[in-house]
Amino acid sequence: MSLHPSSRDRLNHARPVSNALRLRTPNASMSDEAMSNGSNNNNPAEGLETAAEDDPRVARWRENYLRTEARITALLGGDQIYDGVDGEAARLADQPAVDAPAAHDARPTATPKKAARTIDEDDYGDDDDEEEEEEDDTRTSPLLAKSAPNGIPCAAIDAPSLRISSLSSKLGIDFIGTPSAEQPKSADDVRKKLQQDKEAAEAAAKRSFYTTFYTLESDRDAMLEQQRLDELDRQVETEMSGQSAATPAPGASAAPQQGTLSTTNLGASSLTLKHLIARIDAERDKVKASDTQLRSLISEVRKNRSKWANEDRVGQEELYESMEKVIMELKAGEHANPFLQRVNKREAPDYYNVIKQPMDIGTMMKKLKQLAYKSKKEFVDDLMLIWANCLKYNSASDHPLRKKALYMRKETEKLVPLIPDITVRDRAEVEAEERRMRNGDADADGADDSEDEEPIMASRGRKAPSKGGKGSSAARKAPPAGLESTPDQENKPTVPTLNHTVSNLKNEFLRADSEMEGSVNGFATPPPGTLTPIGPNGLLRGGAHGSQADVSEADGTGASVSGFPEEDADLDDLEYKTWKQVTKKDRATIAAERHRLFREDQLQPDEPAILRSRAGMRRWARHRKQAIEEGASGASTSLAEVKDGVQATTSQSLAEGIAGEEERQVPDYYDPVCTIPDLDERLHWVEDSQGHVIQQHEEYMRLLPSGQFTAPDSALAKKMESNIRQMQETRKICAKIGIVKQMQLQSQMYQNQFQKYDPQPFVEADIEPVVVSDDGPVMAPYVCRAALQRSVGKIFYHAGFEEFQPSALDAITDIAGDFFQKLVASFGLYRETPKMKSDVAVPDANGTPTHWVPRFTQEEAILHSLQVNGVDLETVETYVKDDVERLGTKLAGMHDRMRSYYAELLRPALDNAGADGSGAFNDGSEQFVGGDFAEDIGEDFFGFKELGLDKEFGVAFSVPLHLLQNRMHNAYQSQNTNNVTTTGALMEEPAKFEPVTVQNVTKQIGLMRTWFLTKLHDNSNQSLVEDDDLPPKQRFPKPRLPPTGKISSPRKRPLREQQQMARKKRKLDEEKDENGGNDQGSSANGNLMKGLGKPVGKLKLEMPQKENQNVAEPEKDDGSAVGMISPESILAA
Amino acid sequence: MFLLVDYRSPINTHGHSLTTLVQMMFVSGETGEPSPETTTLIESIVQDQVQHMLRECTTLATRRGSKSIGTDDLFMLIRHDRAKISRLRHFLQWKDVRRSVKDSDDKGGDAGADVAAGDADLAAGVVGAGPAAPGDAGKKAKRAKVDLVWDVQSFFAENPPLMDDVEDEEEEEMNYATLQRLKNADERTKNMTREEYVHWSDCRQASFTYRKGKRFKEWAGFGLITDSKPSDDIIDILGFLTFEIVQTLTEEALRVKEAEDLYKKSTGGGAEANRLKRKRERGLFDPPEEAREPVQPGHVQEAYRRLQRGNMKSRAMLNFTKSVHRAALKLVSLLPEYGTMR
Repeated sequence: MSLHPSSRDRLNHARPVSNALRLRTPNASMSDEAMSNGSNNNNPAEGLETAAEDDPRVARWRENYLRTEARITALLGGDQIYDGVDGEAARLADQPAVDAPAAHDARPTATPKKAARTIDEDDYGDDDDEEEEEEDDTRTSPLLAKSAPNGIPCAAIDAPSLRISSLSSKLGIDFIGTPSAEQPKSADDVRKKLQQDKEAAEAAAKRSFYTTFYTLESDRDAMLEQQRLDELDRQVETEMSGQSAATPAPGASAAPQQGTLSTTNLGASSLTLKHLIARIDAERDKVKASDTQLRSLISEVRKNRSKWANEDRVGQEELYESMEKVIMELKAGEHANPFLQRVNKREAPDYYNVIKQPMDIGTMMKKLKQLAYKSKKEFVDDLMLIWANCLKYNSASDHPLRKKALYMRKETEKLVPLIPDITVRDRAEVEAEERRMRNGDADADGADDSEDEEPIMASRGRKAPSKGGKGSSAARKAPPAGLESTPDQENKPTVPTLNHTVSNLKNEFLRADSEMEGSVNGFATPPPGTLTPIGPNGLLRGGAHGSQADVSEADGTGASVSGFPEEDADLDDLEYKTWKQVTKKDRATIAAERHRLFREDQLQPDEPAILRSRAGMRRWARHRKQAIEEGASGASTSLAEVKDGVQATTSQSLAEGIAGEEERQVPDYYDPVCTIPDLDERLHWVEDSQGHVIQQHEEYMRLLPSGQFTAPDSALAKKMESNIRQMQETRKICAKIGIVKQMQLQSQMYQNQFQKYDPQPFVEADIEPVVVSDDGPVMAPYVCRAALQRSVGKIFYHAGFEEFQPSALDAITDIAGDFFQKLVASFGLYRETPKMKSDVAVPDANGTPTHWVPRFTQEEAILHSLQVNGVDLETVETYVKDDVERLGTKLAGMHDRMRSYYAELLRPALDNAGADGSGAFNDGSEQFVGGDFAEDIGEDFFGFKELGLDKEFGVAFSVPLHLLQNRMHNAYQSQNTNNVTTTGALMEEPAKFEPVTVQNVTKQIGLMRTWFLTKLHDNSNQSLVEDDDLPPKQRFPKPRLPPTGKISSPRKRPLREQQQMARKKRKLDEEKDENGGNDQGSSANGNLMKGLGKPVGKLKLEMPQKENQNVAEPEKDDGSAVGMISPESILAA
Repeated sequence: MFLLVDYRSPINTHGHSLTTLVQMMFVSGETGEPSPETTTLIESIVQDQVQHMLRECTTLATRRGSKSIGTDDLFMLIRHDRAKISRLRHFLQWKDVRRSVKDSDDKGGDAGADVAAGDADLAAGVVGAGPAAPGDAGKKAKRAKVDLVWDVQSFFAENPPLMDDVEDEEEEEMNYATLQRLKNADERTKNMTREEYVHWSDCRQASFTYRKGKRFKEWAGFGLITDSKPSDDIIDILGFLTFEIVQTLTEEALRVKEAEDLYKKSTGGGAEANRLKRKRERGLFDPPEEAREPVQPGHVQEAYRRLQRGNMKSRAMLNFTKSVHRAALKLVSLLPEYGTMR
């Protein structure tokens, strides 16, 4: 207790600053820590019983720590496991700092009281109040002030503090890790710290997975080493199994005496059950169950009992676990190889002469399995022995093994602090001791409640530290002599701690076996008193807490701090080494897996294939995510952010690791089968809340805009289309002219002879709506070709081809496509010509000025590519001007010509119709009846339109064209009988004459009989057919009756007969003289023909009258006129 | 010399045929007296060209399914030279007019002779000069329109009669080409003396075909290249085209020579010429510069090479292929870059 004021004295100097800096600066943390050591000594109970977690403060401390320890923080990315203990520690650390400024001067002796307080909460409450007061002052101080004055005030105070401040960072770290009040935990925390270092190294290595590609060349070595290790393990195992029988079970029967439950070796999990145990211990008398019962109960309840756990061997579980870890770690190291097995005498015949006490890792493992180690010291001794042996035997300074041994020793030194300083003892012994303590100690005044918790610590076997630790540390205080001369010296527990830390750091090189031994020794002495809270008070106060904590923490930090700079020296190698170290085992496993398949230099078909695993894929995805996150956080992010990121990721991976997957420490490229290819987001399998798959692709779908495959609506296209339309119109007229001409020439028509020519306007059909899933042009060669073909077809039509051969169209399309390809290719060449440097900067697409300009401007490129493909603008312009525009006018002119020609064809009479056109009616003027030209001239000839009939009947009034032409009349008369009969004045058709046959020829009058008989004879006695019933071609042309009623011309022969006759006549002309009789007949026929020759022309004029009668009727009867409209009637344009 | 002079050729065998050539060259701008080598070279080139034309025409006619070549085939050959086409059409129109007038004037009147004179002029190749002479007589007669096979009326099955009042746009084009020619001729004759002008107009009358039709046919290879008996029109057109070829060739050769002279002047010309020129300044009694030397065969060859030069269009489809373009023999026609009209 007396120490306390002094420590505060010392701090008084620094107080204004340290207060101001308190929570946030490393300096403050240091001094706080220093004080906490003191204050903790003052009131250990307080520290011990504070179970309350104070996370905000922990966070603050962590912040402090992180801010100052950039390097370490980066490496310590994974200190995610902060439990209540740390919080407590922080809390405790805070407390004195709060106390100090406020009260320590005034009540130096008051602190013990505080320490004796049973209810910590009160104490905290006070402290909190005070602290808050302080904080009001301090927190307002600018942050900047904190870092700047850090060292200065300290320097002003005294040398040690300066030094201390330089070490503050370390202490800061330790501070979190080592709750000074809780000794046992401090060791634990040191271990944790080292563990974290390791994890951090792993994390760093893992991060490098994403940035560095390591070759696989060392894999084979790794594999071989690993195989050797496995071999060693097996060997040890077999040897062990042989010995196991001989090994006496270390466990002894539990003493019946009631002890505290917490003394039970509950292993690591006791931490989780701590409060329960504490409670049970506190209410021990109320619990009826015996210790053994409770112990076994709790042992069953708790999880994760390791193989080392043994009820009756106190501390064994933890000790052995850590020892095993250390040895595994060392074993896996890259330099461990020579030390794995006992030195073979054959290899080194004189070895056993030099080395009397051989040792190797294998042997150590054996010993470990045999539970031969009782304490940390024994274990460490053995380890050091290995390296010492090696160094001893290989005394040549440049011996390669020496290097390895030295390296291994260094490693060992780093790792040893991981091992808690526990001496394994039999439970019986422990309990006996406990009992002794209980009996011996009476002053349990203030520590009563702390006793409740104390046993837990004891149970973990780490309570043991004693004066020895202090002694050793104090003894080795020598190097920092200056420290001792400072006034702080009087603060015994504190100074040694600090000094020790300093010394540890400063004399890293000195720290060797001796130190380890010292500390180990210190710990190794198990003062029974530790078990009781009262007893250890003095001991604790004596610096046991502090020293032990400091030793371990100093070691830890010493290792972590000094270790890294050391490695920094060979940084180039460091990363790779770390990587090798971290990944060695997994690489070896993977290499071995692979190797299995190719054993004996050939493919092993029976070996299991390397398959993609679910876990592997998940891991891959996770790593990827992690890498992306880290990449995103970037280098510019502040330290805190880095820390957060690291923490987040590590915790995440940890969580997932817990979820049951073994985390492999290898880059993803070691596991290529498990990589997941980049899946488009839209292809992800996403389910909604109901478990239905969400069709994501729908969001990406879009309808292809129409018009992609049709000609653009340009002026040129419009002109061409209008030309095409014009051509169609003209062709319509053309077709009509053709029909008219044909009808004038042809004697006979068929019902469907003239198809109505009615071309449809060209419409460019677009493609059906198409849904596409991405942007960019549609690659559809066939559709594109079809579109081009259509355009080519249009151009064909435009060039005057009404029809064209498909092969021609295909050929031209292909040539055009080829040409366009070449055009585009040359355009691409011109566009992609390397840029050239210009004198003036030109802003590029993004607006940034650049001196590099394209060799050709867009226009130049187009012109060049056109030129090189034989197209010049002049030609193009000429085409547009001559072949499109002028063609339009020409076509228009042609259309007009056609129309007038057509009109002329239809009304030849009009030519000589006189000025007023009245003359047109002189010759019957049947042409007027055909409303075609009436329509042409826009006259409502029949007045139908006036009457509104055209609309009423929905038809155009036009008389069938064939009715207008007299020549046609002949052909159409029979075909159009319906028209005639329905429209003309109708009578009953008289009964048909009986056909004349051979049988009934006698019924005819005598005058005719002979004529009939000859006819019949000609007809080979078949019945005669009436003229009207003859097939149309054989029918005789009917004599037409002119208005005069006289038949002026002789009867015509039927067509065929005429032709035959003509032929005959020609023949007969040649042999006229031979056959007189025939000559006579044929000449008669010839006369007939001659007679017929002209009447055709004459009849042309005659016939219309007859026709007129038929057609004139509509004028009287509109209905009949409608009836006359035949479907085959052709509308005039 | 890449062409052996064919001494069987009718023109060469008769002195005045070469004179025709020289006259044509004079009309085309060659003022000097060309050497026989030059004229022979030109003549052989022209002959080659005409025979080439005939061959092409025969191919086209065969493709058409016709045995004899027609004017359409010839039109087809020169279809890209619109000016030439329009002048040819003009020429044929007037020829038609003359024929119809002749027919109608069988009874009397001297219009026919008038037109015949015009025809001679036309046949000589200076088409524009012809129509002016017949004047009213021709105008009155209804001119048959010479349609191109690929023109609009070919689009349709029916060929309606021409409407009287249809203003032919192509007429203007023809007139433009004619006027252009006349203008050029005018430029050349501007400073001529009376005698010179007489000579000039004599030369303009020069024709390969006028009253030498038979010899021309022989020379051009009728009967060898094509069996058919060519119509009068074809012979006239060929005569016209031949004149055009001679003219183009001469003009191009003159251009070559001009460029050469310019170069010589600027660089000091050839070694010896250089020395000579350097030696003495232009003296008072030096021959006038206008009396320049005539076109040399080298110039003609260069001109022919230039006129045969392939353009980009002919090898466009060979781009991006490794094929070598082998140009077929080209018809000598106005190079596009010099053309006043396309």
